[in-house]
Amino acid sequence: MVRVLFLCVLAAAVVTTAAGARPLAAPGVTPTQITIGSSVPLSGEAAIAGNVARGIDAYFKYVNTKGGIFGRKLKFEYLDDGYDPGRAVNNTIRLVQQEQVFAMFSSLGTSNNLAVRKLLNDAKVPQLFVSSGATTFGRDYKQYPWTIGFIPPYSEEGAIYGQYIVKHVKKPRIAVLYQNDDYGRDLYGGLRRGLGKKAGAIVAKVAYDPSSADVQPQVTQLKASKANVFMIFAFGKFSLQAFNAVSRLGWHPQIFVNDVSAASALMAIVPQNAANGSISIVFGKDPAAPAWRRDKGVRLFQSILRQYGTDIQARDLQDGYYTAGMATAYTLVDALKKAGRNLTRDGVMRAATHLTEKGNPFVLPGIVIRTTPTSRFPVTQVKLQRWSAKAWHPFGKLLSLKPR
Amino acid sequence: MKLKLSFEVLGLIALGVVIAVLPRFVSSFTAYELATVGMYFIALLGLSILTGYSGQISLGHGAFMAVGGYTTAVLTVNGVYGHHIRDIWTIPIAGIVAGLGGLLVGIPALRLSGLYLALVTFGIAVSFRQIPLKFDKFLGGTSGKLLGLLKTPFGLSATPNDWIYYLTWGIAFVLLVVAWLFVRGKPGRTLKAIRDSEIAATSSGISLARYKTLAFALSAFYAGVAGSLYAMARAYMNPDIFPVVLSVYLVAALALGGVDSFVGLILGAAAIYILQNRAGDVTGWINHLPHVNLNAQRPGMPDVIFGAVLIVVLILLPTGVGGALRRLFGPLTSRLYSKS
Repeated sequence: MVRVLFLCVLAAAVVTTAAGARPLAAPGVTPTQITIGSSVPLSGEAAIAGNVARGIDAYFKYVNTKGGIFGRKLKFEYLDDGYDPGRAVNNTIRLVQQEQVFAMFSSLGTSNNLAVRKLLNDAKVPQLFVSSGATTFGRDYKQYPWTIGFIPPYSEEGAIYGQYIVKHVKKPRIAVLYQNDDYGRDLYGGLRRGLGKKAGAIVAKVAYDPSSADVQPQVTQLKASKANVFMIFAFGKFSLQAFNAVSRLGWHPQIFVNDVSAASALMAIVPQNAANGSISIVFGKDPAAPAWRRDKGVRLFQSILRQYGTDIQARDLQDGYYTAGMATAYTLVDALKKAGRNLTRDGVMRAATHLTEKGNPFVLPGIVIRTTPTSRFPVTQVKLQRWSAKAWHPFGKLLSLKPR
Repeated sequence: MKLKLSFEVLGLIALGVVIAVLPRFVSSFTAYELATVGMYFIALLGLSILTGYSGQISLGHGAFMAVGGYTTAVLTVNGVYGHHIRDIWTIPIAGIVAGLGGLLVGIPALRLSGLYLALVTFGIAVSFRQIPLKFDKFLGGTSGKLLGLLKTPFGLSATPNDWIYYLTWGIAFVLLVVAWLFVRGKPGRTLKAIRDSEIAATSSGISLARYKTLAFALSAFYAGVAGSLYAMARAYMNPDIFPVVLSVYLVAALALGGVDSFVGLILGAAAIYILQNRAGDVTGWINHLPHVNLNAQRPGMPDVIFGAVLIVVLILLPTGVGGALRRLFGPLTSRLYSKS
């Protein structure tokens, strides 16, 4: 009797240890595939930024032909939200619950990511490298441990412009157009901090709502302030409209345009008399910039896009949104590899918060993508760039940001 | 007549049973999707009372849903004097607030009819989104309001998805019975009389004002309840949750389901859901037809498909799906009635 009991206990012990030793499959991970989800604008006023997702998709396909990640192929499910947070919520719930994605990755838009952050953290689904520089995504990790940002925080970007103005613009009178959400407010707050004692130089600021039709009325209002510096903290079509309005109104301020709206593809189609001389920051290699025409990274980008992209046209090969997507995808692939063969959601979060990535071919030489569990801002090095002769020209040395 | 009544009661019971057991056969996410269908169904029930029975057309019901959604968002997030209200208790409040809104619209609506009423209500749908933008500190503007995540209360063991399913369809069932009792009795006959001829109704001693505003308030109440549930399920509320086009979809779905057929409306509700969220799948089905190759990723494709389906249905079934059902089963049941 005792022997039978002993055998039973032994058998149970063997079974439980065996079960424990078997890697627990995370949702979205099979022996042959990892499913990654994203919600991006493919239609609407920010549709041009949807190319970020198309760039990611092409890069994943390229990685798949190189053997994937420990034999697993990457599958990228991205859905259109039209830059509307409500639809981003629907998409995210569907991707997590129905498509069973392993992680959400590079979803675009500040409000869109804020709308799903609580939901994803509650379900312990990684919200990786969000396509928004709102400072909260890197800063509030205690409350939201499953979230991490990617691009330089907007507040630091604003501060760089502020410091530049203090140093290089005589008697600045600054007018600010900004989007009325955390994205615009972070940039504006950063600008004030960068200006320091000279914050009084801001003579006018007008916010617009991301659902408005046109920002020309706001620009007209700003011009009336007789400012000689104009900050465009606006996204997508609003940035285009702002340049158009400046040109139409015959205004000649020094323009600063925020990074996420400064793609060459956008800048090339606005009136050049307004665009010339504009200043922005840059961290990724811009495939349209003459500086990188012969660069290995940009060549790799173009060959990947030509081979694995869908419906690729000549102008897409010059589109910085595609490179931005590939830069993020490169870092994700790095994190997934670091998370190891036994892929779990915990593991990928640990990897994503312990990165020291040196040779990302799609970002400026010298930039190191670095994260720690308490510093979740992967890209904190940027350069300034100036627009002239239909292209961006980086200038000055690499600047380091210290997000707080 | 008695036999017809018992048929309808049997139908209701059958519907109740289907609602109760369905989650056992579908995935958790499908239950969540069905819950959303239920929310549109509730809104359509209200619209059916207004349009199908009293003959007033509203192209602004999306706005009443938004009123409900914002009521729930404000009561759960801001609370009243700092006292947060649990989400399910906000549902009736959201309905009442929206109902009062409906009353406010219903009074001026007395002076308008047909196309003019449709235009005025459409104006409400279009302009409503400015309110949360104007009061963005309070209502969150475009960034919206984050609600608490959906949780199963009272220690019930259901998953949140099953919970929202049962909650929505439970409420939908009760509201269906209420609507059914409302329209089969004196109020229903009165509304139909008004719809068919206002002059004849007035000369029979019917108070037009009372019944038309009542219909407006009741139908806005339904929309408010639906909006409240929708905001709860998404844990998020912003002006785009109930876009202008939703108001149009609702009227289209009403035509699709049959303006005065409550059961047909379930199909109308499903159509709204599918064409907003599953257009890709529908495109896939349509692509099975010979010589058709549509790209679901194209912006605007859902609207094109919705429009095409609507046109086809209204040509083939001018009284909607509900009317078609009635025509199909009508001869059968009427023979039974005549024997009884």
